[in-house]
Amino acid sequence: MAGSMSEAMTWLGPAESGQSLPAGAPQWLRDKQQAAIQQLSSMSVPHRKMEIWRYADVNRLQAQMTAENAPELPTPNAVDHTVIVVSQQGIQWHSDQPDWLTVEPISQMAAADWQDVQPQAHPSEQGMVVLNQAGLHGGVFLVVAAEQTNPAHVVELIYVHEGEHWLNLRNQFKLASNCQVTIKETHVGDRINLVSHWAVGPGAQVKREVTSRLQPEAMLVQFDHMELADGADVRAMHQRSNGALQHHQRQVQFAGVGAKYVSGSINKSILNNNICDIVNVIHNQKNNRSEVTHRSIAKDQSQIFNNARALVAVGADQSEIEQDLKNILLSADAKIFSKPELEVYADEVVAAHGSTIGALDEQSLFYLQSRGIELTQAREIMIESFEQEAQVC
Amino acid sequence: MLKIDQVVANAGDKEILKGLNLTVKPGEVHAIMGPNGAGKSTLGNLLAGMPHVELTSGSVEYMGKNLLELEPEERAAEGVFLAFQYPVEIPGVNNMYFLRTALNSQRKYRGEEPMDSAQFLRMVKQKIKDLNMRDDLLKRPVNVGFSGGEKKRNEVFQMGVLEPKLAILDETDSGLDIDALKIVADGVNQLRSPDRSFIIITHYQRLLDHIQPDYVHVLADGKIVKSGDKGLALELEEQGYGWLNE
Ligand SMILES: Nc1ncnc2c1ncn2[C@@H]1O[C@H](COP(=O)(O)OP(=O)(O)OP(=O)(O)O)[C@@H](O)[C@H]1O
Ligand SMILES: [Mg+2]
Repeated sequence: MAGSMSEAMTWLGPAESGQSLPAGAPQWLRDKQQAAIQQLSSMSVPHRKMEIWRYADVNRLQAQMTAENAPELPTPNAVDHTVIVVSQQGIQWHSDQPDWLTVEPISQMAAADWQDVQPQAHPSEQGMVVLNQAGLHGGVFLVVAAEQTNPAHVVELIYVHEGEHWLNLRNQFKLASNCQVTIKETHVGDRINLVSHWAVGPGAQVKREVTSRLQPEAMLVQFDHMELADGADVRAMHQRSNGALQHHQRQVQFAGVGAKYVSGSINKSILNNNICDIVNVIHNQKNNRSEVTHRSIAKDQSQIFNNARALVAVGADQSEIEQDLKNILLSADAKIFSKPELEVYADEVVAAHGSTIGALDEQSLFYLQSRGIELTQAREIMIESFEQEAQVC
Repeated sequence: MLKIDQVVANAGDKEILKGLNLTVKPGEVHAIMGPNGAGKSTLGNLLAGMPHVELTSGSVEYMGKNLLELEPEERAAEGVFLAFQYPVEIPGVNNMYFLRTALNSQRKYRGEEPMDSAQFLRMVKQKIKDLNMRDDLLKRPVNVGFSGGEKKRNEVFQMGVLEPKLAILDETDSGLDIDALKIVADGVNQLRSPDRSFIIITHYQRLLDHIQPDYVHVLADGKIVKSGDKGLALELEEQGYGWLNE
């Protein structure tokens, strides 16, 4: 069933008026926007049965918002905590701007700095990326200079958006060689579609913490592309819970050798939610390492889709890959799909992967109970310890 | 204190205990020996409330209550403690946090005030000293990466902290070096009191050199087939179990 234009508009939201691109945007991006608008107008209204939406109940994209979700902003207290709020209105600093940090609206970025973001897997599933390309509202261009070498300094971006319409954001992160920093992203919006490009310089050590604990009706669709240069070291931690729909895709690519990408996800879907977590690591260079750990918990009628894919290209020898997906179902109606995938075209590759779906370990629960801990509390303790395994930073 | 009467019980779908009788009075120490697979652990597990171990007939009375009606955590709060033959590893759960949660859950059940962390720490420090435990083990997740002997010592340490009324030790001496064996025995002996009882499951007479039992029983094929005093343990050590069938 192909959606008529007006029907499609309810979920296409941001593309409806063909938002104009910022003045600095290059021609290729303008072309992409036009193509995206074309593509969207012929795309059918999303439906949960469609494979392209990975079992996420994307009918929810069309849902009307009813609840008022007033976001609460954290107040930065420490000296090494920089807070920037990103919204439809642009960028707002909530702390002093350190010398080594530049954050500007993406609309002010020079044409030469624009990076293309192209998903290389699940091509049939890029509706939201296309949507993002079609309507570009804002986002940031964030640059960390090489002299920043305090890994404890947190630069926090808070994405805030209230209301029925989708906020489309596009970010670009540029982390200079050998810098050390923590970048935290917190989503408190109602409907956000976020595409990000990360360029991590040689020897940079970056911690990334992404928190998406959503209100029951909120939705978040995210696509990241990250490139790691020689010897870069990225630890990325993703904490997600609830919301009506969360659809996360990450694509990681190595541009040099000796780099490491370590990722942890904790996906908690306990209030009848849909969370989709797709990671695609492309080992197209020699001697890089990736570790992807997911811990997911689904309750009630929630659904979680987990996919960790690693592609090792011809000649990318000495690649090391670990994929560890574990899942717990807390109710009979919950569903979890969990899929580790390895596609290896090189020799001398060390790869390990595993995926399990189960209930809480009965023997461990009994051990706790046998010491006097009530079953409900024993369960909570076990869930906490299960989550801990994915805590990479 | 404990009266096990004609107990028939399944582990999984297999009948393991086949009419077992045992009475334990306050202050007594009972040793249970017997061949592999006889049902010794099944007995301990039944008393502690392990899933998939189920009573088919008979009864277990503990301090005037029908023990098997209680949830495992209720049994613990009523004073039943099982030192497991194979303690499980629980990644991500800190030993100290676990123990304090356990102790305070038991206190809550009994209507006692919770212990604050300062009180708890003081108490635990004393126990560590008494039991000659390595305190770094307590900072680690429950049993994770512990050696076989360390796991057993951790069980005894938990027993020391929780101060149960009826402690069942399932082969707590297996895999212990000679010093550790003494520490475990000391742990039991320190807790011995007129109102506290022990069931000690073991394959080796040597533990009973350190812990004087009041009774020694042989459990074979789901039943107590012979009872005696410490002399029985010595006989078994010398002759094995074969002669019991004659
Ligand atoms: N959950 C279960 N399902 C099926 N069989 C079981 C289960 N638990 C125990 N058994 C079986 O019950 C029998 C008795 O086991 P138990 O562990 O009680 O023996 P044990 O006397 O403690 O032996 P050991 O000296 O080797 O520790 C064994 O044959 C064992 O395989
Ligand atoms: Mg046993």
